[in-house]
Amino acid sequence: MRRPVYLGASGLVCARGHTPAVVSTALRAGECSSSWRLHGNRRFPWFALPLDETDWLERAAWAVRQVGESLGPLASATPLFVASSSFQVGLCETRPPPYELPVANASFSRQLATWLRLDEIPPYSFSNACISGFSAIDAARSLIAAGQIDEAVVLGCELANASTLAGFAALELLSPTACRPFDRDRDGLVLGEAVAAIRLSATPTPWRLAAVRTGIDAWSITGPDPDGSPIAELLGECLHEAGLQASDIDLIKLQAAGSPGTDLAEANALRQIFTTGTPPLLSLKSAFGHTLGASGVAELAALLACLDDRQIPATAGFVTPDPQLALQPTTAGRQQTVRHALLNLIGFGGGLGCLIVAHER
Amino acid sequence: MIHLDTALSQQFVPADLPTAVRSLLGKPLRRAPALAQLAVLGALACLPAERRGRPTALLWQSTSGPRLETLELLDEVCQGSGEPLPFTFLATVPASAAVQLHPFVPGLRTASTLPLESEQAANWHLLLSIAANWLNEGRYEQVLCAHLDHWSDSLNGHWLALSATTSGSAPATLRAATGEAAIQLADTPDFPVAVARWLAEAPGQPLRLHSPAAPGLAVEFART
Repeated sequence: MRRPVYLGASGLVCARGHTPAVVSTALRAGECSSSWRLHGNRRFPWFALPLDETDWLERAAWAVRQVGESLGPLASATPLFVASSSFQVGLCETRPPPYELPVANASFSRQLATWLRLDEIPPYSFSNACISGFSAIDAARSLIAAGQIDEAVVLGCELANASTLAGFAALELLSPTACRPFDRDRDGLVLGEAVAAIRLSATPTPWRLAAVRTGIDAWSITGPDPDGSPIAELLGECLHEAGLQASDIDLIKLQAAGSPGTDLAEANALRQIFTTGTPPLLSLKSAFGHTLGASGVAELAALLACLDDRQIPATAGFVTPDPQLALQPTTAGRQQTVRHALLNLIGFGGGLGCLIVAHER
Repeated sequence: MIHLDTALSQQFVPADLPTAVRSLLGKPLRRAPALAQLAVLGALACLPAERRGRPTALLWQSTSGPRLETLELLDEVCQGSGEPLPFTFLATVPASAAVQLHPFVPGLRTASTLPLESEQAANWHLLLSIAANWLNEGRYEQVLCAHLDHWSDSLNGHWLALSATTSGSAPATLRAATGEAAIQLADTPDFPVAVARWLAEAPGQPLRLHSPAAPGLAVEFART
């Protein structure tokens, strides 16, 4: 048995707003302001959730419940797939040393399930760094397609913590100023928070999950092969699974976090697959940050909200084309109906992810 | 048909891990976190050399996750200078185990890390269901399913290696649970220990892994 899988209602809380519709409007308006986060004597731009609340757990609870409201009514036995790279680390940091972690490293997922009122059965968790969201979607999709479950919720959750910021800072991966996707002057990524969720179902909706693939680029733990060939290979596999040609893709949501090496690898990969030219290229990370384990679900929810509005927003932060990349993202918003959109992820730790959505006419 | 090629379990005292790796590879895995080293040891024990280039997926779950490494990072970030050593941070990224494993299993196409939310239960039912779906679709030729834990006093690796094509010696097959009588087992981290024990006995009833919370994902092994 193999049946189509569809994408249903979604929820999203990120720096640009507290619902997918609000985020779509903000993206169309070009909003991309960020705050700052201190790390020792350095400070880095930072996309925080739009909340006045400062207590870590209260912020998490509010954001998850808000996302749950956007999803609509759900049976409490709906399987929940959680994607995160940090889970409750930020909460542990708020408590006095010696630091303690739960024995089971994803026990925070139970709390997330409770907030979503999906706690009748234990949640499943995925921690694949930046591609965690697509890994979780891939797993849920596999079970629905095989008829083993009928519906699932995939939740991406990445909340403020000093450990991740410090780790990325130590590796000199962060921009001290701003995220500039595919720009000649890009100098690193900007982190952000997000909680996002999406319903997957065997029941038809306007958006079908046409393909999803994850892969490995073993060039380095911290960055992809500069020539982009492992990324290109995965893009090709994903197109093949969807039964599409590169020319069928109307829009690409890039990884494009503004990292010098990763943006180059992504551009090189795209040129290998889209040999006769690329469709519009869009990065969302300059609008609400690189939200790591949540990014797959958060960017999918934001993109579908834009596409439901027939809008392709401009990519914030892009000013100067990079001749080495020879590709540039959208510089102005436009109205366009998109039939097939491809979403690309390139993960810290060697993970790759690619997903294609198809609008069912 | 999905074949079970291997069921094995490994245990190490943390201090012995580098020696085990060196004796297997002839060199140390410098700066590789313990879970990554455990992944290499287990994967190579599951896959004979001639199968390591075949399209392979790795699905591994963990109760501990990089717990000790995360505590070290918290100490460095929150109590130390605030600037951790890069490798202290990298050791907290479990997904990086795939990069460490890839040179030894060049056919490795994807890997997914599934941290567990309970210390009592495991998600073998999920791993095996996904693995069977992928193999049935022809997406990969073999899928390694594992449970890896790194505690302060022990390192544990439990493995089940599945494939779409048998080498002729596969001792069992994997299928969706049937209605026939079977030995029922709970989904616990050391499930492969029970599988290996069942394989060592004379052929009899199938071995069923049943998770009450996910009845649609019940699977069972049958002797070939």
